Amino acid sequence: MTAPLFEQGAFGATGALVAAVVIGIAFGATLERAGLADARKLAGQFYARDFTVFKVMFSAIVTAMLGVFWLGRAGILDVSMVYVPETAPLPQLAGGLLFGAGFVVAGLCPGTSCVAAASGKLDGLAVLAGMFAGVLASGLAFERIRPLYEATPRGPLTLPQWLGLPYGVVVLGIVAVAITAFALIERLEARR
Amino acid sequence: MTRKTLAVAAIAAALLAAVAGSPAPGTEAARDAAALARAIANEEDHVTALELARWIRDRRPRLRIVDLRPAADFQEFRIPRAERIALEDLPARRFAADESIVLISGGGTHAGQAWVLLRAAGHRDVWFLRGGMAEWLDDVMHPPQPDELTRYFGGTVRMGDEESADDVGAAVKTLRRRGC
Repeated sequence: MTAPLFEQGAFGATGALVAAVVIGIAFGATLERAGLADARKLAGQFYARDFTVFKVMFSAIVTAMLGVFWLGRAGILDVSMVYVPETAPLPQLAGGLLFGAGFVVAGLCPGTSCVAAASGKLDGLAVLAGMFAGVLASGLAFERIRPLYEATPRGPLTLPQWLGLPYGVVVLGIVAVAITAFALIERLEARR
Repeated sequence: MTRKTLAVAAIAAALLAAVAGSPAPGTEAARDAAALARAIANEEDHVTALELARWIRDRRPRLRIVDLRPAADFQEFRIPRAERIALEDLPARRFAADESIVLISGGGTHAGQAWVLLRAAGHRDVWFLRGGMAEWLDDVMHPPQPDELTRYFGGTVRMGDEESADDVGAAVKTLRRRGC
């Protein structure tokens, strides 16, 4: 049996929802264990006081990237069937800036706000409410923001395609950047 | 496991990934589909019979002409310098990176399909003869107008009442009768 299991027809929509709940709980538990339910820790990232977010997220990226590459190579995962979200630089830049501003004000992102709310933090609940209000508002205003939403479409674009480099070379580059950044951060933290 | 061990493991896995190149055989081809579509749209995938004739006459370096037709047809008539490789054997063949490969079939369809196979396998300099052997016979060996290339390849001018080479086998027989 090869993955992705849902795309390969190993289970139906109900099975996919059950899997999503199980994976979501595991993801939330991992975020909580990493200390990312704490708004102070998350906001600390923006002021370069606390690098937990960077370390957790970048190690997750490196782990997943190496996992996808070598599972594909071993014939367990069909990489061509993995969903790649579409790239649109202009709306994603605008959305990213807005998201970042909300992140630093709230001290939480969508995933960590769920974790914070689940662990009984009121600010987590408030961020969740704000997030749903934002989803509703952007849905209602969609016709107005449609020109921005549809600007500069690039389709599903991966780094190897964009850079014109072999997949494995891009993997090596990102791992090199991650390890270098981790080493620099450790040095910085040791000095404090 | 210490952080250092994890870092070393990640670097080792990444170095091997860089050597391996792609996460699955065939992924590069899928990635290349857009480039292939562009090459086809820009007509950078085929040569005409006259272009190929000029390449042969001018001794284009590292040119390899691959005839995909059945062995009997190849024995009957072939383009100078052509070699026969069966379509089913093509994916297993290795070509040097600097070789220009021109694919030939009877009509052009098989050669066009073989072009996709070779491009997907990573060969950059690949072409197919647009109208196949029929076009070679019509435009080089037996054209309505005399041409220096026709003389070079030992062809003859087509008379007004003669038909073009829709049927390659019949056209080759006509050519044979004319003694070339």
